[in-house]
Amino acid sequence: MASISEQLYDALGIMVLGMALVFLFLSFLILAMNLVARKFGPVPQVDNTSPAVQPQMSTTAVSPLMTVVITAAIHQHRKKA
Amino acid sequence: MDGLIAFWAESGIANFDGGQLLMMGVGCILLYLAIAKKFEPLLLLPIGFGAILANIPNGGFTDEGGLLYFAYYVGIETGIFPLLIFMGVGALTDFGALIANPKMLLLGAAAQFGIFATLLGAIALNWIPGFDFSMTDAAAIAIIGGADGPTAIFLASKLAPELLGAIAVAAYSYMALVPLIQPPIMRLLTTEAERQIKMEQLREVSKKEKIIFPLMVLGLTILFLPAATPLVGMFCLGNLMRESGVVDRLSSTAQNELINIVTIFLGLAVGSKLSAEQFLQMETLGILVLGAVAFSIGTASGVLMAKVMSKLSGGKINPLLGAAGVSAVPMAARVVNKVGLESNNQNFLLMHAMGPNVAGVLGSAVAAGVLLAVLG
Repeated sequence: MASISEQLYDALGIMVLGMALVFLFLSFLILAMNLVARKFGPVPQVDNTSPAVQPQMSTTAVSPLMTVVITAAIHQHRKKA
Repeated sequence: MDGLIAFWAESGIANFDGGQLLMMGVGCILLYLAIAKKFEPLLLLPIGFGAILANIPNGGFTDEGGLLYFAYYVGIETGIFPLLIFMGVGALTDFGALIANPKMLLLGAAAQFGIFATLLGAIALNWIPGFDFSMTDAAAIAIIGGADGPTAIFLASKLAPELLGAIAVAAYSYMALVPLIQPPIMRLLTTEAERQIKMEQLREVSKKEKIIFPLMVLGLTILFLPAATPLVGMFCLGNLMRESGVVDRLSSTAQNELINIVTIFLGLAVGSKLSAEQFLQMETLGILVLGAVAFSIGTASGVLMAKVMSKLSGGKINPLLGAAGVSAVPMAARVVNKVGLESNNQNFLLMHAMGPNVAGVLGSAVAAGVLLAVLG
């Protein structure tokens, strides 16, 4: 009987130690993850993408004029033929 | 005539004993649960069939030189099968939800209390005549509370190989029973208002963060808990293969073909441990009871931790998430989602629950490492 309560005492020790270690380990991981997030987290990508998109928009804005020029050229070419 | 007698003497009918028949019955129950009830069929089917094969008189499957003997010897005694599965699980796991909300790791840690409380429970069972669990036995049984099959098998093969069959069967059966065990505990410990809490949308996670994460986990394990590196190391390898994006072939093999092949042999080898003399013991009954207790305490402590965090954060965290802190990926997260939807049919918690869910996998691997370091 005494040995069982001794074992119980040991198990209690392992329980406290184990939970403390698990929490400590995962808390370190949280700290590390926050550091990584600060350094490598996603930069607000909205600013990056919108200027990249805009030039495309402007070329399509010009394109009606270009299409007029091109269709005129094709017309001329066909008239020649 | 002599030939006939020799044939009869070799036949199954002449050689059956009661224990073997009973264990074949257990194997059939496992097959029934897998096929008809769809309880973890990927594992319970090969385990059940393995149990039948292992109890065939004169079959010789588990004798030295037999198939099951070698499957066990090569894959489980060495710890290789559970580790290969862990690599596959790593390749299957997306840590995005956790990286977006690192605090969820605390829930994964709290739910491991089920493991350590069961350690006490297993030792306390020794007061009942007929039970004689050593500290290593108790640790191997307690890890059922981690709700993680490969971790349980790995630890049991190191600490208490003679209990492995019962522990594996208990671990996988309870994982299948998560949708039955968890919801009553979750409802008991939370109020209706708490269950209705909506969570903020998770932030985006960059590719760099996802690549650095497994390396960081490995680094911390190397520094603080080398005993957990077999488990955590293989897990991180699988996850790095997935997230790096440069070895898609290897990643896809780890999460499909390899994990499937290993699962077949792991199941058979675990089934081979379900022999009458090893399984039909009082201890098995104790293991089944302790496993259920471990699971319930883990769920409860996760939910209680989530309640504390919810209070501290001013009601921004739904306490149901705590139940996902026991691993059982992705079943526990789905249960959280389902219970959440019962209270508010617009509240989808699944993505949020994946955070504590994968944190639970890490938590139970760390807990296994602690037990190995202290007792191994």
